[in-house]
Formats: sequence, structure tokens, C-alpha cells
Amino acid sequence: MKILNKKYKNILSLIPSYLLLLTSYLLLQSCTKLELETVAEPYLPASLNESGGNWKTFVLANGSEITVSKPLDVKDASYLKELDSLKNNVVGKLSPEQSQAVNYWGAGAVYRWNEIARELAALYNLPPAANANGVYPVPDAANPKADPMFPFANPPYTARALAYLSVAQYDALITTWKAKYTYNRPAAYTVDTQIKPLLPVSTLPAYPSEEAVVAQASYQILLAMFPGEADYLKSKLDEAKNIGIWAGKNVTSDVSAGLKLGADVATKVMGRAKTDGMGSANNQALVPGLVEHAKATGINNPWASQESPIRPPMLPNYGAVKTWNFDRVTLEKIRPAKPYVDGSAEFQKDLEELQSIQKNQTREQARIANYWADGPGSYTPPGHWHRIAANEALAAKYSEIKMARVLAFIGTALMDAGIGCWETKYFYYSPRPQQYGLKTSVGLPNFPSYTSGHSTFSFAGATVMNYFFPEKADLFNNYAQDASDSRVYGLIHFRADCTMGREHGKNIGSYSVTRAKLDE
Amino acid sequence: MKKLCFFLFLFVGLGNQIIAQMPNDHVYMAKKDICAAVIYSNTSWNQYWENTLFRDNQNLGTVSTQSYMLMAAYGLKDNTNLIASIPYVQTNASAGNLLGQKGIQDAGIWVKQKVQISKGLNSQFVGGITVPVSNYVSEFMPLSIGNKATDLQVRGMLTYQIPNTKFYTNALVGYHLRGVSKLDRDSYLNGITMINTATADVPDAMEASFKVGYLKWDNQVELYVDHFACVSGDNMRRNDMPFPTNKTMMTSVGIYGKYQPKNIGVNARIQHVLQGVNTAQMTTYSVGLLYQFTLLK
Repeated sequence: MKILNKKYKNILSLIPSYLLLLTSYLLLQSCTKLELETVAEPYLPASLNESGGNWKTFVLANGSEITVSKPLDVKDASYLKELDSLKNNVVGKLSPEQSQAVNYWGAGAVYRWNEIARELAALYNLPPAANANGVYPVPDAANPKADPMFPFANPPYTARALAYLSVAQYDALITTWKAKYTYNRPAAYTVDTQIKPLLPVSTLPAYPSEEAVVAQASYQILLAMFPGEADYLKSKLDEAKNIGIWAGKNVTSDVSAGLKLGADVATKVMGRAKTDGMGSANNQALVPGLVEHAKATGINNPWASQESPIRPPMLPNYGAVKTWNFDRVTLEKIRPAKPYVDGSAEFQKDLEELQSIQKNQTREQARIANYWADGPGSYTPPGHWHRIAANEALAAKYSEIKMARVLAFIGTALMDAGIGCWETKYFYYSPRPQQYGLKTSVGLPNFPSYTSGHSTFSFAGATVMNYFFPEKADLFNNYAQDASDSRVYGLIHFRADCTMGREHGKNIGSYSVTRAKLDE
Repeated sequence: MKKLCFFLFLFVGLGNQIIAQMPNDHVYMAKKDICAAVIYSNTSWNQYWENTLFRDNQNLGTVSTQSYMLMAAYGLKDNTNLIASIPYVQTNASAGNLLGQKGIQDAGIWVKQKVQISKGLNSQFVGGITVPVSNYVSEFMPLSIGNKATDLQVRGMLTYQIPNTKFYTNALVGYHLRGVSKLDRDSYLNGITMINTATADVPDAMEASFKVGYLKWDNQVELYVDHFACVSGDNMRRNDMPFPTNKTMMTSVGIYGKYQPKNIGVNARIQHVLQGVNTAQMTTYSVGLLYQFTLLK
């Protein structure tokens, strides 16, 4: 009896433990929820943009430069054979993976390829490590999976990769729309009502398949930009090109015509990319001359790498890369004025602002600095603005061609912003705050300070977004201002770097808007 | 003979740099006794495992973390103790330009209970949770002061006291059910996947340790080996910085000592990471001041 009683007491004595554990578990559950990502789903476009085939292209002369051959009539025996094959071999026979793919790509071919490109940019956005001799090896395009991987998808690189992707998609879709509304071949599910469509039904002509066009063009551009991802990109292509067939919309000739068109456009666009000057963007031999030039301009304490071992500056000749929406003369004309130099009262004031933030950085300042940091391992500021643009266009239920339009004007504005900003940075070669004893709460980029890349990118991006979504201009301007301020809060830019970058960015963005207005 | 203050803090769960202390001892406060302590610890490293690559980083130099922790243990019963702690943590890098961080980190509360199995052998249960109590930045590793995720811990222990001696051995296994880290950014890579949200999953972890020690009423010496391993998570990418999602693993050894002749006592510890993955080769020194009193009845 006594023994039993003792055991009973032992069990009772365990109660506090279990209560605490239970409370803890409940508490953990309440704080442990991983946020779910917003899932983009297929939608019926708000407009089909029927006259999109007449919009102005970026690289092609126009939407008719590349001829899409006339398709067979829907009463033609060959067409009917394709239709039969669709009915007998595809409809109702999709694997679960194929059904899932239809739903995934159905949110938008341009949208998805842009998302893929941003993810690749993040994966490749890591600066090379120094080797045992203290030398930073240069990434080698012929050996992309070696250490360091090719490319180092830093902001200028990513701006360019996304610009070419978006331009190729846009030019290809203008040509596609031209052919669609020239030939007006209806969707398979319209020709044969027994075919049950798996994506929202519209009157958009089916030939050539827009999914196939975008898949092939995107594949070729991204393969050129991320040559180590051949297998991954091929798997995406193989899925994406068939979406129209799996959805009951396209027959095989819709897809084959799309693939051919996508390839032709990508080849043309890559023709521009190969000769745009990127090949010499990392010409380090220019650096001594740039420093001398800056000193002659009055920069008394030029930029110096703060890394150990000393790292060569990022893409010192990126400023010479070919711009999209203005010419070289304009680029030099709109270059921001000379920065305040060490010793001036204005410079001292900006320095003191940073010293004060370092001492008393608020949590909100740290949050803004971290939110917009978009540093190594991220899709960079250009990627961030592509994401903002793609999500806005998705929310507005834009058609494939309108989605591509927004991203092409954003993308070219961002690349122009990168070129204009880099040209300015290396023209003045101005020092970073860290050359005056400041630390950073976000990490220090390895290139001259003036002007702020974040400010230039973000205000160029916001300016284009304001044109497409004027009702949300306040939001985009606030985003851009936060992104710009974030570099002061993170202690890596002087205030003037950001205010001058802001004006430069707005100006650069306006050239993209002017070009977009030509289609009004 | 009255037991005096026990405090044994295993510096596991350092994640990539940081401290999650926990009471892992078989010594108990008597009913209504309270032991309060202030513990200072200093963890530093100048080499780390980037995934499995052991390297230094001239842009960090030596990274050090100093922690000042308040702790209290209370004897709910002779075989049931409650323990609570709260640390203030400060980080610094000796080279490069990353700004050191500071703040109150994660408060913890534990209960531990012992059940006698046979003479000399007892089993114990420790359960508890640590919760971030300030809105510190978790994504600025390795300078962040912590992972900023709740950590629910359960442990089972067996202690064997060699009959008629002061020597003992202790074996422990535990599991950390860890929550998510709230980030300032709203996109990050987890492995090769881009996650477009502002929360990052901090992986759960297993721990195990083995100790041998000597315990007299007024002093204690203990040697131990400890292993901590996340059960999931991603690896650091080449030349990238650590992140709360990383799958860390480490094996460390340590020595602990306590001297408490009266109500006031001191303890000290040295711990060193021998081997790791996605973590730093940390060395920790800590010293504590203990004060024991009985709650008025």
C-alpha cells in the first residue's frame, strides 16, 4: 500500500513538467507558422491586347520582320490528324505531373520564366572567393560549374540578363500576336468542343503557341546567361513548350511554329547581346586610368577596395555597355554632377549623418536596410523590381504580351540604370563611407560609392511602374525611396549618393516611358 | 547534506555563432531553495566550416560573442526544479566592416525532474523552451545575436553514481523542435529554391552528450563531449554567409567546474568545437557568480 502510494505521488509530481511542455508546445505552434507563398494561378486576361502585334519591338525591326509561315486550315486533313492525336493521346490522359505543370505554367509563361531567371540570379550571385595566393579567380563561361561559378550574377549582370530575357519575350510575343491575328487559327478546344480545356477559355488565336514561343526564347537567353544550367533549363523547356497541348488549346503545329519563332527571335536578340560591350565590362586594365581621371576631376580620396585581400572593382567598364532607351551622348549628358569631396562642408554633413546612424541605428532603419539589401545570394535590386513588376501585372490580369511589355520596359530601364550608374561610379571613383571608419549593417559592395545603384535602379523602376500603374504611383515611389534610404541606413552610402542617384534614376526611367508611349 | 547551486550550461545550438544555453545537470535544488546566477561567457572563432570546407575569412577576422546571462533555479520539490534564464548578447568582428549587433536574445524556462531507478542510478527528464524576447535581426549572420526562433527542447538523461564514491557518469539525448525565424527581407534562398516570404524554417536538431564528473557538496568538476546535429536544412553556398536555415552539425568537448563553499559560489567552463559542418570552430569561456537562498516558508 505504501509503495503504491509512493508511485502515485511520483506520477503526480510529474504534472508540472507536462503542463510546461504542453504550454511550450502550444506557444511554439503559435510562433512557428511558416508563411505560405502566394501561389500564382491561371487566369483569364483582362484584355487580349488584340492589336499588340503592332507594338514597337526592341531588337527586331517590327512584328513582321520574322515570318511565321501560314498554318493549315482547321479543315485540312493534316490539321485534323493533329487534332485526333490530341484527342486520343493527350486529352484526359495527363499524368499528375503534367496536370500540375499546366496549372503552374498557366499562371503565365512570361511570369514563370521571369521567376526562374530571378531564382538563377540569386543562386549565382556570390562573389568569387580568393584563392590560396590571395587572387580572386575570374568566373569562366566555358567552365561555369567550377569554383568560382560563372556567372557572378551581381546587380549589373542580373539587370542585363533580365533585360535580354524580357526583350526576347516581348519581341517574340509581338511577332506571335501579329501572326495570331493574321491567321486567326482557333484553339483546338474551339475547333472541337469535345476537347475539354484545362486553362481559362479565351478567343486568343492558337497559332503559334505563345507558351512555346516564350519557352524557346527564354530557354536560349537563359542558357546563354547561365550556361551551367543546361539540364535544368532543358527540363523547364520540355515542360513549358507542351503546356498548350496538355491544356487542350494547341495542336503540335501550333507548338512547332512557336518553337521556331522563339528560336529565331532569341538568336536575333542574342546577336545584340554578344556585341553590346559586356565582353569588356570587366576590363581591369582601365582601372589606373579611371583613378587618375577621378583625381584630375578633384576626387582627393578615390575609392579603394575595403576587402582583404584587395578585390578588383566590380565591372569597371560596364558603363560602356550599350544602352536601350537612350544613346551615348545622352548618357554622358545626364550623368550626375561631381559629388561633394572630402573636406567640403557638405561632405562632412553627410559623413556626420552616417556616424550618427551608426551610433543610434533604429530597428526600423535596420529593417529597411535589410529588406532592400538584395545583396549576395539574392536576386539583386533589378531582380526585386522585376518581381514587383511581374506581381503587379499578374494582379492586373495582364495577357502574356502585356506582361512581357511591362517587364521589357522595366527590364531595359533597369539595365540602362545599371549602365548609367556604373558609368557615373567609375567616372568619379568616389570613396565609400568605410574609408572614413564606418561599419555596415548590410555588407559593403566592392565598387565606388557615388551614385547609389539602389537609388538609380529603384527610381528608374518606379518611374516605369508609375507609367503602367499610375494609380499606385505613391506605393512605388515609397518603395524606391525606402530602397534608396536603405543604403544610408545600412551605412554604405552618403546621402548625396542617394539623392543624386534618385534624380538620375528618374531621368533614366523616363526614357523608357517615352519609348513606351510611342505605342499609345 | 544540502545540495548547492547547480548550473551547467551546454553551449549547443550555437547555430552558426550563437548561444542557446540550457541546464543539463543531474544536480537538484532542494524544495524552496533558489539559486540565482550571473554568468558571463565569451565565444570566439576565426575559422569555420563553409558547408564542409574549413576556412578562415580575412574580412571577419575573429568573431566574438559576449553574453551576460541572468539565471535562476528554484526547487519546486526535491526532485523537481524550475529554471529560467535571460541573456544579453553582443557580437563583434575584429576585421572587415560588419557592424556588431547587440540585444536581449532568447529567454528560456525549463523544468527538470528526476526519478530514482535504483541505488546510484536515476533517470531525468528536462523539458523547456527558449523564446526570442527582442526583435533582433537574425539575417545578418554571422554577426546576428541569434536565430530568432523558438526552441522547444526535450531531453532524457541517465546518471550513474559509482557506489561509495563521488564520481558519476551521465548520458543525455535530446531533441530541439525549432520554429521559424522572422526575417526583415521577404525572399531568400533555401538550398536552391527561392522562397518568397519573410519567414525561414530553422531546422530541428538532435543532441547527445556524455559526461564524467566528480561531485562533492561544495565543488564539482566535469568533462564532457557533446554532439549537436540539425535533422534538416540547407548548406552554406561557396563564399556565402550563414543563414538560419543552415543544417549545422558540431561536436565539442568541454570542462566545467564549480566551487561553492557557502551560499556564494563560482563556476567556470571551457568548451571547444572539434568538428563541424555549416558552423564555426568556436571556443567558449564562461564564468558565473552563484548565490543561493531559501524562500521563506
